[in-house]
Amino acid sequence: MTAPELPRRPPAVGVRGLTLLLLLVAGALSYEGLGLTAAGLWPNEGGLAVAREFFGRALTPAWTSEARFVPPGTPPLLLDALGAAGRTVLYAAAAMSLALVIGVVLGFLASSSWWTLGERRGIGRTVTGALWFVARAVIAAMRSIHELLWAVLLLAAMGLSDLAALVAIALPYGGTLAKIFSELIDEAPRDAGEALRGAGAPALSVFTFALVPRAAPDMIAYTFYRFECALRSSAVLGFFGFPTLGLELRQSFRSTNYGEVWTYLYVLIALVIVFDWWSGRLRRRLVTT
Amino acid sequence: MSGAGRDLEIDRLRRARPRDRFVRRSLFAFGALLVGAWLVGGFDLGDAFSEQRLRNVDRFLGEIRPYPLQGEAWDHGVFLEWARGLWVEKGALAVGRTLGIAVLAIVLAALLALPFSLAAARTVATPEPYVPSGRPPTRWNRWAWRGLVGVTRTGLVFLRALPEYVWAYLALAILGPTAWPAVLALALHNTGILGRLYAETVENVPTGVPAALRGLGAGRTQVAAAALGPALLPRLLLFFFYRWETCVREATVLGMLGVVSLGYHIADARVRGRHDEFVFLVLLGAAIVLAGDLVSTWARGLVRRAS
Amino acid sequence: MTGASFGLEGVSVRFDAFPALSDVDLRIDAGEAVALVGPSGSGKTTLLRLLNGTVRPSAGAVRVDGERLDEVSRRRLRDIRSRLGFVPQDLALVPNLRVVQNVLSGRLGRWSFLGAARALLAPPRALVREVHALLDRVGVAEKLYQRTDRLSGGQRQRVAVARALFQEPSGLLADEPVSSVDPARARDTVRLLTELSSERRITLVMSLHNLELARAAFPRLVGLRRGRVVFDAPSDDVPAGAFEALYDLTTEELLGDGA
Ligand SMILES: Nc1ncnc2c1ncn2[C@@H]1O[C@H](COP(=O)(O)OP(=O)(O)O)[C@@H](O)[C@H]1O
Ligand SMILES: [Mg+2]
Repeated sequence: MTAPELPRRPPAVGVRGLTLLLLLVAGALSYEGLGLTAAGLWPNEGGLAVAREFFGRALTPAWTSEARFVPPGTPPLLLDALGAAGRTVLYAAAAMSLALVIGVVLGFLASSSWWTLGERRGIGRTVTGALWFVARAVIAAMRSIHELLWAVLLLAAMGLSDLAALVAIALPYGGTLAKIFSELIDEAPRDAGEALRGAGAPALSVFTFALVPRAAPDMIAYTFYRFECALRSSAVLGFFGFPTLGLELRQSFRSTNYGEVWTYLYVLIALVIVFDWWSGRLRRRLVTT
Repeated sequence: MSGAGRDLEIDRLRRARPRDRFVRRSLFAFGALLVGAWLVGGFDLGDAFSEQRLRNVDRFLGEIRPYPLQGEAWDHGVFLEWARGLWVEKGALAVGRTLGIAVLAIVLAALLALPFSLAAARTVATPEPYVPSGRPPTRWNRWAWRGLVGVTRTGLVFLRALPEYVWAYLALAILGPTAWPAVLALALHNTGILGRLYAETVENVPTGVPAALRGLGAGRTQVAAAALGPALLPRLLLFFFYRWETCVREATVLGMLGVVSLGYHIADARVRGRHDEFVFLVLLGAAIVLAGDLVSTWARGLVRRAS
Repeated sequence: MTGASFGLEGVSVRFDAFPALSDVDLRIDAGEAVALVGPSGSGKTTLLRLLNGTVRPSAGAVRVDGERLDEVSRRRLRDIRSRLGFVPQDLALVPNLRVVQNVLSGRLGRWSFLGAARALLAPPRALVREVHALLDRVGVAEKLYQRTDRLSGGQRQRVAVARALFQEPSGLLADEPVSSVDPARARDTVRLLTELSSERRITLVMSLHNLELARAAFPRLVGLRRGRVVFDAPSDDVPAGAFEALYDLTTEELLGDGA
């Protein structure tokens, strides 16, 4: 007779503990591999001077232009900054509208609810399967290239054009929206959809009128969150020559007009905070009610 | 019920239907913004398809053909040699550095975010976490804690409101071209994001266990370690990997500012007009982003299953 | 319009190896009202779902109005289904839509995609009147424009019934529609459904646990146990002991349940 088997002792370090440990090791290895030193965190003479001057202006942002020669009739700096902020919003909004179209179309195609709902067989099934696969691949391709790389690519291909900026943001954002939309639709409870299938409703109708409405609040909330990200991306595109906040910021920094830099930074922060507040409040309203 | 009576009733119910004004107005405003942007934006789209542009595109497409093969017949051997050369010379090291920057940055961000998230969580950063204890706190005491929460939250918003690229641009001017500016930029921005996410998670921990421990006389740090830690770990790890994914994405481009990573070589190839290298490196970036996504998805699945 | 008729001929259903129903023969004629009784896991839901073809039999044939469901085209099956109202156990309403939209969606099977879009987003007055009249009939007319997740369990149940009725069904299948409401509400709902069935000549098949109610409201009872029909008789002929026997499971059976 064998002794009754004792419950196995759990390992001293669980999967999560091990993960944590591995992460710390990975961090340390990266530090070594990048050849970093703690001393590198302290600026040299020149850097220190820049830092002093730059941070010295943190609490005294400029109200008027600090350029050495200011042509008469120049509008006050704040107006300038607000104009740039407005353009940042416009670029983000126009890009977002493109991204939304891409996201809705590809998101629906990439959702796997399509053929788990339908009882497709044979050729119909092959076609939907192929569409799904292509949609997934296109989404992955659009998402995996950063918006700034898209921007540089498009700039190289067609030269400076507003379309380049809009498309550069719209492609990766559209891909991300599509991915999240399809996941939200696939994860939404399907009881109502299946009941309606049982009442003879065609798959497309069930998908659109039972599954999508269920996922809609989350989809809207996510779209708002992405818009906040689009604002940041739009601002950064200024560094590549588009007339958003980034352009002004870079110019002022290069001319060492640090007061102006802080003005632009604060305007950008205010912009993001306003939209952060808006999307946060909307999310709470949509998702908890 | 008569037809007219029914219609009146329907109209009454319709008028009285509950509506969320804020949601409706938000959706309307957002829609108007998306459409209006095209009307007032004054984007110069007309010339996007002008003769000149199309010629540019045409030339670009010619130039992304591997350099040794431009004007030649396609040859696999030459292509492979070209690709291997690029990989050995630039790609391999740049990919390693890009991943290193992403890993170090997210580990730093997570470490920084932990204390911030506790200081920003209203359930912990209060004079009496979870249960009343002893003498009621003074008003001054209450205000001090509230001040801590407010300052921490403002700091976190500040950190995440500025894009990584801007942080890196500023840090580069001060610290010079080591990997630090890129690492710091990613770490700071993500501290802001993880700090907020972690704080929300801390606030959403059910009060049962921490309250019980407090009742046994455990202090703030003991509660954090013994009750909050285990409850939080899985979610913290999920957020960690999710943000690491975006760090890899961002790390590929930060190099464009002049830090030696993939972005640096991309910008360099672009400046030299070597569009073949340029596209090759962009695709390399896409490949590591995809690989990062896969690793992150796998790791998140692992964490989810373990909890 | 006359009610639908159903026929099960030697039907068995297996989920993997587990027999949920074994060799069931059952005829339900047009306009009949039948109660299905039996303990949890006895196969009531499976039987109801066989009747609208959302579960496929592993053996045997299911007929609706004489047509074998495994022989009709997909198009025809959809037509048949669109005439069979189903009130699922979990109700399966879309919680964040308004009541009127949930009821309207009962007719998706008869509308083209664009027709459905129009009907759900901007319903013509005539349809709203119909919905309101139905909701009035089931007693929740006041809730016409409320969000569905703001309703109580009993009210939602009535909305699910209204959605099924909006299909203008010739058969109504209701799966334990009264299991989650208080006894008075349960009686009302069962009465409502049996009344509607005789009023509109709709064949009604309902599963429920409340035995007295079943006996009082339905002329015919079908008892299920472990996937087999134990009795099938006019209510008055079912002896009281039969119920006891039906629900008196041995430990072994309880453990086997749901395996
Ligand atoms: N989809 C399914 N997969 C596996 N087993 C199932 C499935 N549906 C039902 N069963 C099993 O079949 C048996 C009968 O289930 P059901 O018809 O739901 O019973 P009832 O409705 O009477 O409670 C149960 O033991 C249940 O676990
Ligand atoms: Mg059941």
